[in-house]
Amino acid sequence: MSVDQEKLIAELVEKGLSGDMDSINAIEDRVLRSKAKSALAKAKRAAKVATKIVPSEKKTLEVSIDDKQPSDNLNQKIGHMIDKKFPGSLDSELNDTHIQLKPDQWFDIAQWLKSEPSLHFDSLQCHTGMDVGDEKLEARYNFHSMTHDHYIEIRIAVPRDNAHIPSIEQIWRIGDWFERETYDMFGIFFDGHRDHRRMLLPEDWEGYPLRKDYEVQETYHGIAIPKVKEGWE
Amino acid sequence: MGILENKFQDNVVVAKLDKLISWARSTSPWYFQFGLACCAIEMMSAAASRHDLERLGMMPRSSPRQADVMIVAGTVTMKMALRVKKLYEQMADPKYVIAMGSCATSGGPYWQHGYHVLKGVDIVVPVDVYVPGCPPRPEALIEGLLKLQEKILEERPLTRKMA
Repeated sequence: MSVDQEKLIAELVEKGLSGDMDSINAIEDRVLRSKAKSALAKAKRAAKVATKIVPSEKKTLEVSIDDKQPSDNLNQKIGHMIDKKFPGSLDSELNDTHIQLKPDQWFDIAQWLKSEPSLHFDSLQCHTGMDVGDEKLEARYNFHSMTHDHYIEIRIAVPRDNAHIPSIEQIWRIGDWFERETYDMFGIFFDGHRDHRRMLLPEDWEGYPLRKDYEVQETYHGIAIPKVKEGWE
Repeated sequence: MGILENKFQDNVVVAKLDKLISWARSTSPWYFQFGLACCAIEMMSAAASRHDLERLGMMPRSSPRQADVMIVAGTVTMKMALRVKKLYEQMADPKYVIAMGSCATSGGPYWQHGYHVLKGVDIVVPVDVYVPGCPPRPEALIEGLLKLQEKILEERPLTRKMA
């Protein structure tokens, strides 16, 4: 590779890193273009590694807490942060075990939970639904951060007859099947899910079995489904 | 067999031929692998070297077109029931079904509260032999297969059926 070419590629990579991909795509010479692209990918990877190392250096979570509620509990701390950043998103008083949220801003909050360097919740460990009675269904999320090694639990309650929660499947890919299963069993709809089908039951099954008021359908494709029998006969 | 099946009056030649055919059928019942749950492990064990189903002329096939016996080994859910039926219909005559284990015979542990479990595979396909157990040991499955062989031996494929 000539010196000129190297200089040109270095310039293009700088442009690409600042978001200008057009100048690379505009190159006529295929070889040169692919060289520039691979150099760009390399630079991006290096940048990623650099940013990854930074948060792991400071292990402790530095969060400014309101003077009103001084607490070491992470659910409380992060609840406060969410309340500050997304006003009106909390659904109940903060407590030590979980953060109760409203569904409206959930997608933005979830994105922020993952991208904020001091939180960096990179793993959705568990997601499930629950019929909490009182005409409400609840979705629960357990998050863990590999970098900071801390956990929180988020709960979102929705009305039984209009159960819609924004999908976080595009943020944590594991959420894909988790949300499908919760939809299958509880009938909570996850808006924005790219593959919103039943997970375990057949597509044409009626009802959501883990709801407390679930009634088994009489037949399935002509096969009778016996109702619950009293004891063994 | 097709056009020859049950077309002949009973006589010495037909009886001997019947015996030959049913003997041939009974000693090579290739089975359709149908592992649906934990019973499948016992079925595999029965097919493996310690119990060795090939002593009985049985060999596992993965396609319903090549199989004579369907061993329904495990819990049949409602979702699967339709597929079991479809696969049974794809098998060539003569075909036999063994319901292996409690789930396939009656719903087993899901008898009372399993809303999604078929309460016995005999609701969708005709069953020849029921093997009890949860799961049945390979010996039990082999006994079931021997019973099936006895049943096949008693058949008269050529003789006209009396009304």
